[in-house]
Amino acid sequence: MILRTRFTKVGYLKYLSHLDMVRLFTRTFSKAGIPIKFSEGFNPHPKFSIGNPLPLGTESLAEYMDVELAEKISPDSFIERMNKSLPEGIQLVECKMIEKSTSLTSIIAWSHYEIRFVSGKIGGDVDIEKSLSKWDSIPQVHITKKKKKGKKKVERQLDIKPLIGNVIYKGMDDEDFHTLSALLRSGESGNLKPIELVEAMERELDLGIDLDMVMIKRLEVFANEDGEIKELA
Amino acid sequence: MINKYKLDKILMKVEKPSRYIGMEQNMVQKNPEDVDVRFAFSFPDVYEVGMSHLGMHILYNLINNEPRYSCERVFAPWVDMEDQMRRESIPLFALESKEEVRNFDFLGFTLQYEMSYTNILNILDLAGIPIHSRDRGEEFPLVIAGGPCAYNPEPLWEFMDIFVIGEGEEVTLELMRLYEKHKKRGYDKRRFLEEVQASMEGIYVPSLYDVSYNDDGTIKERFSKLPGMPETIEKRMVRDLDSMFSPEKMIVPYMETVHDRISMELFRGCTHGCRFCQAGMIYRPIREKSVDRLMELAEKLVDSTGYENISLSSLSSCDYSQLHLLISSLMERFEDRKVGVSLPSLRLDSVSIDILKEIEKVRKTGLTFAPEAGSQRLRDVINKGVDEDDLVNAVSYAFKEGWSRIKLYFMIGLPTETDQDVMGIKELAYLVKDLFFKRPPEERKGNFSVTASASCFVPKPFTPFQWHGQDTIEEFHDKINLVKGSIKDKKVTFNYHDPRVSYMEAIVARGDRRVSSVIYRAWEKGCRFDGWSEHFRFGSWLESMDELGIDGSFYANRNRDFSENLPWDFINPGPSKKYLQNEYTKAIKGEVTRDCRLGCTGCGIKDCAMWGVFN
Repeated sequence: MILRTRFTKVGYLKYLSHLDMVRLFTRTFSKAGIPIKFSEGFNPHPKFSIGNPLPLGTESLAEYMDVELAEKISPDSFIERMNKSLPEGIQLVECKMIEKSTSLTSIIAWSHYEIRFVSGKIGGDVDIEKSLSKWDSIPQVHITKKKKKGKKKVERQLDIKPLIGNVIYKGMDDEDFHTLSALLRSGESGNLKPIELVEAMERELDLGIDLDMVMIKRLEVFANEDGEIKELA
Repeated sequence: MINKYKLDKILMKVEKPSRYIGMEQNMVQKNPEDVDVRFAFSFPDVYEVGMSHLGMHILYNLINNEPRYSCERVFAPWVDMEDQMRRESIPLFALESKEEVRNFDFLGFTLQYEMSYTNILNILDLAGIPIHSRDRGEEFPLVIAGGPCAYNPEPLWEFMDIFVIGEGEEVTLELMRLYEKHKKRGYDKRRFLEEVQASMEGIYVPSLYDVSYNDDGTIKERFSKLPGMPETIEKRMVRDLDSMFSPEKMIVPYMETVHDRISMELFRGCTHGCRFCQAGMIYRPIREKSVDRLMELAEKLVDSTGYENISLSSLSSCDYSQLHLLISSLMERFEDRKVGVSLPSLRLDSVSIDILKEIEKVRKTGLTFAPEAGSQRLRDVINKGVDEDDLVNAVSYAFKEGWSRIKLYFMIGLPTETDQDVMGIKELAYLVKDLFFKRPPEERKGNFSVTASASCFVPKPFTPFQWHGQDTIEEFHDKINLVKGSIKDKKVTFNYHDPRVSYMEAIVARGDRRVSSVIYRAWEKGCRFDGWSEHFRFGSWLESMDELGIDGSFYANRNRDFSENLPWDFINPGPSKKYLQNEYTKAIKGEVTRDCRLGCTGCGIKDCAMWGVFN
């Protein structure tokens, strides 16, 4: 039996690495007495997988994990037992039974982000709405992607425009942070990190963004079914 | 509280940011409004090292158990974090509340090894706290230190307001209570320090004492500057470990740490009497926790942490008088919860391996033994009560049971050591190899390897070898090369410690007040994380001593006379100086002293708790 569960990763816990998360869940399953399935072999480990690991320092309201169980427990009871042991910033929010585990990383195709930043120019020299129209009208925006191929470091140019669903300006909050909302490709068949988007926008539009102070939160993830953006099944 | 956004900005740039965020399971965070005395506990090394220290978990929970007191944690930021903090002017903060360390009432350091001392200075500096005690007024925390290295407090005398000598469970709370009283009626640092020194046992306030020197640089006299101050500082010791506070939870780090499991202390003290071992002397007498108490604690610790392994940690855990009963009870109680038990150190005998066989049912990882010296003669000198037969039996038995990787720990530079003794290291390693390959091929299991690791001997205060001059760096290298050059076998690996680090360690370990300026100067020159080979800057240490006219060999390499006033003589650790002298004399003659479980050996400890049990 497989449970697909959605969880949060907010506050300082955004600094936990993927490995830290795996360790945390492993301990929590045991502490919460979840009858999780273990792999066979010499050094058995619990069978669960976390989809689309976040970059370190990114918050999320929409992380997903598939958990394989050895005996049936109800999704509600699973959430309740896990949340008692999990820290405040990492809490399960939804859970349902699924028939077959198709790898989360292959399903998730889009992520919706909230991007907060400070800028000395927006509202002054820069009219953000005009800048965004200009951004929409640029046919191609290239960024340099660095990749390691074996021992060599390879650089390649990538047009990020096809990886962007939309970018919308949401306004400024009382801490003087501006907020953008962005829908970006995510996963195996194309991935754009929000910080790459912000860096490219700053380069093209000169928005005065302090690139050291960009706060990113994933709000939602979506699947791609026959070219349509769909909620996760 | 520090600026949250500035912190975010730098955490994005450093490696392993989870070192700095706290928020772990079992962390205690109290509302500052509800707290009268705030204590910042600092292990002066990086997070994952400090979090593996059992003493921190004890004191943390002990203090937080008090409704009106709080304890938070402070570690040494790694060098990348330090750079960022200095660049952004973020003062050092405690992990729990992110409150600046300088706003606490106490900042307490645990002194586990000498090469962490520059980190202490760096922590004070990063916190914006003046490094010298004399420069700190009432607006700054009281800076205190305890732990094994506090038994020679003098090399840190300028920096600490108070040293706590001995076990901290009782005295830490006493200190906090007295401070609370003073705080309520107007806290004056000087008045507080004087009352603490005059009224409390196990306390040393270095600023209330002075030292004069002879022409040859040795200590002439120690005297207190005020009347009514004790001449001798008695160590603190908890008498009954069962009724003593023991933690029922431990903070569970998110990141992988050095010691990623429950640590349970079976007893304090050790009866073997190894002559190089400071812990074996200063933690006397031996005091055990009962099996009932340990089972109760184990249950609570497993429930509160979710850890799947309990490490039974003590100086020589196999000595625990109820070990079989304890282990079988633990195995039985936790069988269905998949909780295992492990022993951090092993005695060289088949009984120990039988126990190990029981607890490591699945995985047979490497086995580690510590013969400490290569020859029988030298093992007698250091009173390490094992002989070659013990090693042969233990290793043969281990091979039969399926182990194939053996590690052997040695020291080089022990008193009376000759080249022949040193070559014994190689001979023992080869003997282990022969024991494996002499077995019929069908009985050889696994992939054999033996590693012999040698550390350079550092004579420590309050051991029978406290008078002994350390080998010079050159002598160490000669001995290392002798062993290294003689090992020509792929299955046999020889590792050794950097003699330069051990030289500095020896200077600080047996240093007097004048060494404090060396530590300060070295820190100014950028020394920190000296225990980490990639950060150890020997050149800066040598320069510092040079500039201050301090001769390192005076502290490290000189043989000291029994009549000399040693810098730490004013502390009473339990065993008497006369006993240590006797032991040193016997050592040079190669005479052994029995384990004091077999009959008192007259170490001079007052009201020995085990007198009735063993005699």
